Amino acid sequence: MIRYTLMRLALLAAGLVVASVIIFFTLRILPGDVAQLIGGTNSTPEQIAAIRDRLHLDAPLAAQYLEWVGGVLRGDLGASLLTGTPVAAELAQKAQITLPLGALSLTIALLFAGPLGVVSALRRSRLGGTVIGVGAQTLAAVPVVWAGMMLVVVFAVWWGVLPAQGFPRDGWSDPGAALRSLVLPALTIGVVEGAMLLRFVRSATLQAMGQDYVRTAASQGLTRTRALIRHGLPNVGLSVVTVLGLQVAGIIVGAVVIEQLFSLPGIGRMLVRDVSARDLPMVQGELLALTAFVLLVGFVVDLVHRLIDPRQRESAA
Amino acid sequence: MHRRTPLALAALVAAAVLSLSACAPSTSPTPSGSPDADSSVVVRLALEPTNLDIRQTSGSALDQILIDNVYQGLVARTPEQEIVPALASDWTVSDDRLTYTFTLREGVTFHDGQPLTPEDVVFSLTQHRDNAGWVDAGTLANVTGVTADGQTITLTLSEPDSQLLWNLSGRAGIILKEGDGVDYQTAANGTGPFTLERWTRGDNITFARNPAYWGTPAKAAEVVFDYIPDNQAALNAALAGEVDVVTGFDANLKTQIEANGDFSLVVGDSTDKGTLAFNQTSGPLADKRVRQAIRQAIDHDAFVEALGAGKTMYGPIPSLDPGYEDLSEVAPYDPDAAKKLLADAGAADTTLTLTIPSFYPPTISQLLVSDLNDVGITLQVDSVDFPTWLTNVYTNHDYELSFVLHTEARDFINWANPEYYFTYDNPQVTQLYTQARAATSDEEAAKLLAQAARIVSDDAAADWLYNGASVVAVGTNVSGFPSVNVNERLNVTELGKSDG
Repeated sequence: MIRYTLMRLALLAAGLVVASVIIFFTLRILPGDVAQLIGGTNSTPEQIAAIRDRLHLDAPLAAQYLEWVGGVLRGDLGASLLTGTPVAAELAQKAQITLPLGALSLTIALLFAGPLGVVSALRRSRLGGTVIGVGAQTLAAVPVVWAGMMLVVVFAVWWGVLPAQGFPRDGWSDPGAALRSLVLPALTIGVVEGAMLLRFVRSATLQAMGQDYVRTAASQGLTRTRALIRHGLPNVGLSVVTVLGLQVAGIIVGAVVIEQLFSLPGIGRMLVRDVSARDLPMVQGELLALTAFVLLVGFVVDLVHRLIDPRQRESAA
Repeated sequence: MHRRTPLALAALVAAAVLSLSACAPSTSPTPSGSPDADSSVVVRLALEPTNLDIRQTSGSALDQILIDNVYQGLVARTPEQEIVPALASDWTVSDDRLTYTFTLREGVTFHDGQPLTPEDVVFSLTQHRDNAGWVDAGTLANVTGVTADGQTITLTLSEPDSQLLWNLSGRAGIILKEGDGVDYQTAANGTGPFTLERWTRGDNITFARNPAYWGTPAKAAEVVFDYIPDNQAALNAALAGEVDVVTGFDANLKTQIEANGDFSLVVGDSTDKGTLAFNQTSGPLADKRVRQAIRQAIDHDAFVEALGAGKTMYGPIPSLDPGYEDLSEVAPYDPDAAKKLLADAGAADTTLTLTIPSFYPPTISQLLVSDLNDVGITLQVDSVDFPTWLTNVYTNHDYELSFVLHTEARDFINWANPEYYFTYDNPQVTQLYTQARAATSDEEAAKLLAQAARIVSDDAAADWLYNGASVVAVGTNVSGFPSVNVNERLNVTELGKSDG
């Protein structure tokens, strides 16, 4: 287990290095530069040159990359070209919105996909199961933006029970208000992601139902459902843990769209803003942090998987 | 236990959601009530500034909120573009128009409590003139000296400058504290009726009433500029009662926002110019007949109709600016004439590319594609993000046709500058503009500008698809919101809200 953990850690570090190279150099391919944006449409070439000089934009790319990576290793993600704010500080501030949003979305997705997925598998030949299956198929195909708009129209505009957009200006100082502003965005992501997860749970359950051990248990007098619940579901749970890593990545992508739609000042919205302002130190810091987060989730998922699945532990021993 | 957990959690979340909805405040304020001195007014804006450094960062998003409200100059301008006193209580101009004498108000303090001194004025104006990297530094190039004697500030000029007061009412004239330690990128220290209370990047900028303001204090205790780029999201926010004023509103959504009676739409003039630039240095657009044909192929009324607001425009100067005249006869909508011009130019079957920043409504390119298609021009649309537009079109002049909404007032100078991305080069226009700046009366300046503008339009230097309008949805309990040219300047001193 220790050897496996070390190997998996090395893989994680290598992944981060590769990601940093890709992030840094692909961003440099983007046309347009921040000096021009600061200078605007009435600037002279001299003014642009002065801004480039002030922001040290003319150093060779390799040197800029090494400087950035060196900083990251020392725990310094750099600073915004536009405001001089440290990237880490902005990230920490915006994470207070994106992380709870992600956690809430994931919770909603799991709560909705887990039970319904199992039920729809158990009742696959009955009407209820078919309805759930078709419903999930349809929901998974719904564009997140549309789903969000519908929720806003119903809950905010018609009924006025939840905010349509924005986050309290005082942040979490009023947790109730903060949470209320996350409900609709999290529901939007949670339902769409949950629909995808539901289909996964359904097929994993169906697969478990066909396994020998379930059949054996059933032959020993348990009903099919009981046999599945006792012996099959732990295995379904294992498969679900495996896809959770992917689910987290999906939720981050969803957050970029949803934060825009709901005007939530989180990491997703910050990323869109910084890309369109070509504030590259910010963008690369944000992307690296997100990549690290997703890789870390994958790492944890793998470890957990190994810990709870006796077969894998044995094969490693 | 293991099996019950999801159920228990589901019940918990359901209970939480229900209890949260139960404590929801009642939405949409009632339209009646007396003005509330403690009110906080929320204004939706679309475009957030990239940073707050008014000295070195361009962009109308900064002028829009910071000038008048936070920073002030010796003079200011009204929405109707009239020059009025601000930090100077009055001023005189010498007969030869080379000396401007201002009387600086006494008892003015900056937001951090430091007093405004005549030295601050001398410092600010000379710094602004001498730092090439500061926005609009060039507009003070004619100023040879700035001196202070007591509360009297004197500006001496190398030659008369009919634009001087106008420029002093903008960026170039802002008065800062000499040797100020404020971090201009994220904070501000001005003399205006509001202090910058908070900037949550990517979300909002909050102003608080300045209790020590030298003039009439602001009506609202707090004004929040909520940056919501998406129009539909802004509409939802308004309908849910979360914003009091929506600027940059899509006029086509008028009935939707007025439906519940809490908002009414206010439409005012603006200096927004939807400019279709022609790169006339080479290719088919170097031929004036082709450019004229494009202008006559475009149904300008259809643009105004599609946008739901605004006016047609046929020259470079909008009606709010000096030198405006109706130039519709220069390029009337006439597809047949356009076809004939194209045939004469040997360009009957041409393909052109339009480079347009992606944040403009697709209607604009759709109408252009269809209008030009009718006269035999195939228009390819290259939708790019703004930084790409800045590099390719603005800096490298690598384009054929380009669309951008130019919002700045009195920016005719760009037609007199052959280096500008318009690629328009007519020495006669440059000379007329120079004469207009050196004119000794406003009337004369306006006359010269009108002449120059007519030449620019006659040359088909570009086409102007429309003169935009300031479209603002204002809550019925809100008063004092400006209606003219709010994209450029938004003075919120008079903005107030009744307690309803």
